Amino acid sequence: MTEPEITDTAIPPLSEAQENENGRAVPVAGAAVMFDSVTKVYEPGVTALSDVSFVIEKGEFVFVVGASGSGKSTMIRLILKELDPTSGRIIVGGRDLSRLRRGKIPQLRRNVGCVFQDFKLLPNRTAAENVAYALKVQGENQSSIRRKVPEVLSLVGLSHKMNSLPDELSGGEQQRVSIARAFVNHPPLLICDEPTGNLDPDTSVGIMQLLYRINRSGTTILMVTHDREMVDKMRRRVLALSEGKLERDERRGGYVGE
Amino acid sequence: MIQLQLLLAESLRSLRASLSTTFAATMTVLIAMFLLGVSIALGSWVVSWSNNVKKDVQVKVFFCTEHTCEREVTEAQIGGVQRRLESDPRVKEGGVTFVSKEEALEIMRERSPELVKDLTYNPLPHAFEIQPNRAEDVEAIAADLRGRQFAGVEKVDYGRATARRIIRVGQVISIIFFGVVVLLLAASGLLIANTIRLSIYARRREIEVMKLVGASNWFVRGPFMLEGLFTGFAGALLAVILLLLGKEIALPAILGRVDADSDVQALAFAWTALILLGLGLLLGAAGSGLTLRRFLRV
Repeated sequence: MTEPEITDTAIPPLSEAQENENGRAVPVAGAAVMFDSVTKVYEPGVTALSDVSFVIEKGEFVFVVGASGSGKSTMIRLILKELDPTSGRIIVGGRDLSRLRRGKIPQLRRNVGCVFQDFKLLPNRTAAENVAYALKVQGENQSSIRRKVPEVLSLVGLSHKMNSLPDELSGGEQQRVSIARAFVNHPPLLICDEPTGNLDPDTSVGIMQLLYRINRSGTTILMVTHDREMVDKMRRRVLALSEGKLERDERRGGYVGE
Repeated sequence: MIQLQLLLAESLRSLRASLSTTFAATMTVLIAMFLLGVSIALGSWVVSWSNNVKKDVQVKVFFCTEHTCEREVTEAQIGGVQRRLESDPRVKEGGVTFVSKEEALEIMRERSPELVKDLTYNPLPHAFEIQPNRAEDVEAIAADLRGRQFAGVEKVDYGRATARRIIRVGQVISIIFFGVVVLLLAASGLLIANTIRLSIYARRREIEVMKLVGASNWFVRGPFMLEGLFTGFAGALLAVILLLLGKEIALPAILGRVDADSDVQALAFAWTALILLGLGLLLGAAGSGLTLRRFLRV
């Protein structure tokens, strides 16, 4: 199987981000994610995010960079509504999260795939069972599970290891299983929290190529990373956080600002 | 359907994972429920018995005869006592019965004919039998009559002082029992809560993944809820079985044959069993609900 090479020519045209004169994001109905002056204060004096605004359009591939404690994880937890912002407005997939009732949170999460540095696979289940588990939990019927699981596992290139337990898989393979699980229902948004953080550079490239392919199928990808080389090579949109503030928002940025 | 299957499988998995704590919680529920069952039986028996005894609690006024005083009581004297009794608010409306000496002899003849058959005359006095409004008032009514020293009254009596003391002791015992049972129920509820907490901890990875992939709240909580319900129900069921064994085997052996058609009865066993099972479920739900609210915020 040949993976597509990541080159500049392969990058799809960027949609026109809508900005006003101050460079501030304005509400966009069709945006994948929108933060509007979002501030999150954990306890008086501990501010994780302060007045962060941005719009991510459907189909974008966005890197979020920043040192530890800069608010990257808080941002992800806000998008998943694990936390509520202290002030400001968050819209995910057209839904205003402040108006989302508790009971509807699962609905939100089914539309946001998640991939993590530590994979979060269930150790006593095979690759196929881990993917199937997500579908079962969401109430899919048996026949569609039987159809979708092999499909998505072949997409991530793991058809031959369907029945292996996580222990029997390499780190890269485990991350592929976790991507398969996140993507099996084709959510419009995929959030990746340092997906290559535990992987060696060569394996990382494979994972990035997989994510790139998923992005090209129309899925918005928001990726938190420390992988400087990857960000500099791919030249996609970069949101740089620093001490809770949005320091940079560049269309084709690098890991560090010019 | 598939979700239900998965839910049951998850619950079983969870039960197996925390078998020892589940066992401990089940045993505590068992002990609490067993004691509760015993105290329900005992308590309802004491209530039934004391109601039965209370019916007999009355004041008796015996009038003079030629033999006990110097002269036989007069109609006027009897009328005086009756007027006093009927104006006493503690005496039950229509609760004053006049038993003439002839009637008394008749009653005695029926009860113990051999005592009466050799009598050459009727030694029994006229009497009033007085029902109080409340059993506790007999003493006061009697004291009032004695204090007025009616002429022609030989004796004022009220019965069953010991019976009343026994009732009081019974009440105290059932209150103590009740207190112990409440404590035990609280303890078993907390133990169930703790068991659930441990199994939440043991399965935190699954929970994390479930939330991640958008499992609905009831789906995440379901297995733990079921586990709690199961623990409560199993404990109560075992207690019911033990109580049934006790009732059928141990009790007859201790007391001999139990009089089935006496007026004094404990609450029917089926009701006790239902109460225990219902309470077991409630306890399980409360225990797991408590923990889920605190430790499994979705």
